[in-house]
Amino acid sequence: MAGKTQRSADRELVLVDGCRTPFCKAGTELRATSAADLATHVFREVLDRTGIDPATIDEVILGCAGPASDEANVARVAALRAGIPQRVPAVTVMRNCASGMEALFTAQARLRAGEGEVFLVGGAESMSGFPLLMNDEMVRFFTRLGKARSAVAKVKTLASFRPRFLKPRIAVVEGLTDSVTGLSMGQTAENLAREFEISRQEQDRFAMESHRRAEAALEQGRFGREIAPLTPAPRHDSWVEQDNGVRRGQSLEALAKLKPVFDRHEGDVTVGNACQITDGAVAMLLMSRERADQLHLEPLARVIAQSRAGLDPRVMGLGPVHAAKPALDAAGLELADIDLFEINEAFAAQVLACQRAFQSDEYCREHLGTAGALGEVPSDKLNLNGGAIALGHPIAATGARLVLTLAHELRTRRKRYGMATLCVGGGQGQAVVLEVA
Amino acid sequence: MTTATTDQTVSTREPRTEGVVHLSPPDSDGIAVLRLGAPSEKVVTFTERRLHSLRDALQGLREHGGLRGLVVTGPAPDMFAAGADISLIEAISDRAEGEAAARLGQSIFAMFELLRVPVVAAIEGPCLGGGLELALSCDVRVASDTPTTSIGLPEVKLGIVPGFGGTQRLPRLVGLPKALDLILQGKMLRPAAARRAGVVDRVVPPQRLLRAAREEVVHLAQHGAKRPRRRLRGAAYWLSRCAPLRGMVQRRVQKTLARGPARFYPAPPRALELCIRAFTESGDAGFQAEARALGELIATPTCKALVRLFFLTERAKRLGKADGSRAVHSAFVLGAGAMGAGIAGLLAGKGIRARLCDLSSAALAAAKGRLQKSLDKRVRRRSLGRHEARAAQDGLAVASEWGRLERTELFLEAVVEDLEVKRKLFTQAIGRGLPEDAVLASNTSSLPIDAMAEGLPNPARVIGMHFFNPPEKMPLVEVIVGPRTSAETVATTCRLAVKLGKFPVVVKDSPGFLVNRCLAPYLNEAARILLEGCDPSELDRAMLEFGLPMGPARLMDEVGFDVALKVSEVMSAAFPERMQPCPLFAAMVEAGHLGAKSGGGILAAGGRAVLRRLRQGTPHQPDREELIARLIYPMVDEAYRCLEDGLVESEDDLDLGLVMGMGFPPFTGGISRYARSVGLGAIVERLRDLAVRHGPRFAPGAGLTGRVEKAP
Repeated sequence: MAGKTQRSADRELVLVDGCRTPFCKAGTELRATSAADLATHVFREVLDRTGIDPATIDEVILGCAGPASDEANVARVAALRAGIPQRVPAVTVMRNCASGMEALFTAQARLRAGEGEVFLVGGAESMSGFPLLMNDEMVRFFTRLGKARSAVAKVKTLASFRPRFLKPRIAVVEGLTDSVTGLSMGQTAENLAREFEISRQEQDRFAMESHRRAEAALEQGRFGREIAPLTPAPRHDSWVEQDNGVRRGQSLEALAKLKPVFDRHEGDVTVGNACQITDGAVAMLLMSRERADQLHLEPLARVIAQSRAGLDPRVMGLGPVHAAKPALDAAGLELADIDLFEINEAFAAQVLACQRAFQSDEYCREHLGTAGALGEVPSDKLNLNGGAIALGHPIAATGARLVLTLAHELRTRRKRYGMATLCVGGGQGQAVVLEVA
Repeated sequence: MTTATTDQTVSTREPRTEGVVHLSPPDSDGIAVLRLGAPSEKVVTFTERRLHSLRDALQGLREHGGLRGLVVTGPAPDMFAAGADISLIEAISDRAEGEAAARLGQSIFAMFELLRVPVVAAIEGPCLGGGLELALSCDVRVASDTPTTSIGLPEVKLGIVPGFGGTQRLPRLVGLPKALDLILQGKMLRPAAARRAGVVDRVVPPQRLLRAAREEVVHLAQHGAKRPRRRLRGAAYWLSRCAPLRGMVQRRVQKTLARGPARFYPAPPRALELCIRAFTESGDAGFQAEARALGELIATPTCKALVRLFFLTERAKRLGKADGSRAVHSAFVLGAGAMGAGIAGLLAGKGIRARLCDLSSAALAAAKGRLQKSLDKRVRRRSLGRHEARAAQDGLAVASEWGRLERTELFLEAVVEDLEVKRKLFTQAIGRGLPEDAVLASNTSSLPIDAMAEGLPNPARVIGMHFFNPPEKMPLVEVIVGPRTSAETVATTCRLAVKLGKFPVVVKDSPGFLVNRCLAPYLNEAARILLEGCDPSELDRAMLEFGLPMGPARLMDEVGFDVALKVSEVMSAAFPERMQPCPLFAAMVEAGHLGAKSGGGILAAGGRAVLRRLRQGTPHQPDREELIARLIYPMVDEAYRCLEDGLVESEDDLDLGLVMGMGFPPFTGGISRYARSVGLGAIVERLRDLAVRHGPRFAPGAGLTGRVEKAP
């Protein structure tokens, strides 16, 4: 249960700079732009914006939960395409929704192990690119057809075809289902709503607030500092510079009309109060503080603690609560010391459940072994620019976006400590604590 | 790997003299290897000496008892044979001499066919002209799939036809349509395309080239055959062998040749006729005709003009190899207008990482879209692989944010023509970390380079890099050198231009540089002629007939009257006595008929209406000789003034600059050759006469008159 953490040692990891693509709903502007295309773009932008010599990078580490079959090690493909020298190695890491944050964790581990000082990390996901797969019957049919030698055998095999063979397996649906418990992610959110008595209305209100905050952030150009606009494949003749999932003027009435998706009769989770399926990528340049000083770079933030934790897959949404405790311990901070939070909005119910669990003496005692509740995560410290419900959740990109957004927000609001955390399908949580540099 | 080691032993057995072929006697398998030169030779051309040594080697080989086959290959990796020695072509000025040279080559290459054993050509690197003709006289051709391998018969580009049997053997091998496609355009094929066309039989990895060639020899020898059975099939057969269909092909090609720019050149129709003969004649007759045609063509002034231009382009390419030049790997282009976008795409396409910045996101997207469109086209035409196209697109980053410039080796601005703006941007670039030794280049067409360098910490690295529109297509780059520009900066800029596939011409900083300055009197005068009542289409026709790729009226439409007005104002400020802008430009701008970009210029109805309103004379048919005198002679005069003012070093620069920069007819050999063929004295006289009748703007300058006086 206890997260595995180590206190940041003598060599400290800092976030120098980063950027992301606009987050676009799957099937919209970025539908033909692959994960490697997206990652190539943000890698190149980080290199150009920082002016750093790419040969100084020790490793490229990229999170990607569903790489396309023609770019399995997305990190390597994108690194080479972005002009990073061939001798710099690259690895793709995968921890479902936390893959983008896992990239940062991996960099931290490498630094501590003395295996490099400069890392280009991030996360990229093309959920538009998640394939439709052939079902097992269709695969067997093709195998039989391939083996049939004589014309008669071929005709016979062809005759065995049935229309049901055409029913595809949908990778995005299968990917969002826990294969141990068989529950979809939405069902785990329904579990939390019931356990913590969160009403449909509360969920919808939370979703509306996410849209409202994201809309305000867009209007005030607060994402401009992190977004690197791009021209989408295949024609490259249009310009995409804004997240397109934000519904301006989202109303409670409109949200209330939506039908529950995962439990059609008794459920509360709708497409309106869950995160969107989205394409996007994030890249960040991380290095040891020492190295940043040598290169005269001014970092955005220092990474002072990070942790990961495991829990029951059926309530995977509480991952942030479980990961926060060891992260705070490692940082030597109390929950109240944290000035800003970014908790990924997989589902409104799930974030609300986390808020309640943080405040619950009973839950914290039972699951975290503390004397009482960890404390409060007030709404005015949480997801101030909206979250995945409005911006979308390109699975592996999100973890990195939370860190990048948090770092910028800490600077803008002149705050000191921030925590970025998310829940992970399969029953895990991850958290990072940043301090403004 | 065994072949590689054999390769080594063969090449190190004896020291080799250059300029001759080298034959290693039959090995235990009875296979002899003939190398076309010494390993130290970077380029193999067929000089008389090499041809004679080839004859001797082949004669010696005939007496060998144990010979089972012959492999013919280049002296070293990446070189087969680049064709005839071009200085030889230049030197031959006599029909009979040319014909004799062709007969000599033909007779020696024919010896390959007369050998009783199979002969296999193993091709890697350039296999062009005479090189391919040699390979065609072998029995089998195997090519290595290295990127340096290019296969073709580019002779028509030099104003001649293939003279060593190429016009006979190629059509018989691949059929009439494909042969014409290759010979008439002087196309060069990559190995895979050559195999598809049937020019080579097999394409293999370079490490296996010699082994594959030997396999082919052994395979044929085992069957006791000299060559594989071949015959044309399908459409290629019918279009070549069936007389009426062949006639159809001939007439169609004749028509195209008569219409296009090819009509100014004698070689393509001769090549067509010879290729037809490959099917109508047997035995030696076709070869005799080929040699005769070569003799006739090689003595023509067109051939000499094209050879001269070839040497000029080679000379321009050498500018990129000058001492102190550095390679540019990463460039920053500011301004995503037509020029900036084109240049940035060009850079990315050549593997140079480019960042294009502009405040307008629409312009940035248009730049990426434009690159993608041209890449898609090349992928469709199979001249580019999908992954290569993607790499080019990856190489171009577009953004409104500059980022840091620590990695930038060349900063090129293509923004609005405003000195203050440009100077500010250069300063800004330095402030953003541009390295001390990076080049600061401007694509200006009207502002002084030295003024831009004013106040910068290192003015020696400021230079002009004047591309022409559209930069992807136009082959010239004027490299504009200010008084403080360093030699290293010039060398690096020239090297980049060559890398981009352009011909650099170094020009001293002066209003209009070279090309626009020579164009200014031409366009001004054309506008005046229009005002006098000449029909624009008629005017264009006359200049097309002269050999220009585009008439002046159409050129005005393409350039745009706004640009023409601006340029003519700059030019008249610099040279008021002879470049007063014609009032037509201002009138067209006022009427809103800017040209092609506004949907119509002088050639469209609206423009013609403006013309009618302003016209002073009565409509009339112009006299063509008069038109040439009024339009081309002042251009000649201006070119010599540029030379006199020290803008360029020599007539060579004038010639290359105007042929590549504005399409001065290549068959003339350049503007100075044209002027000399007319006679400098005659031009001066005519200009003086025009000055009396039309105004002092025609008065010839010292550049021209001085040369007339010097001439005997």
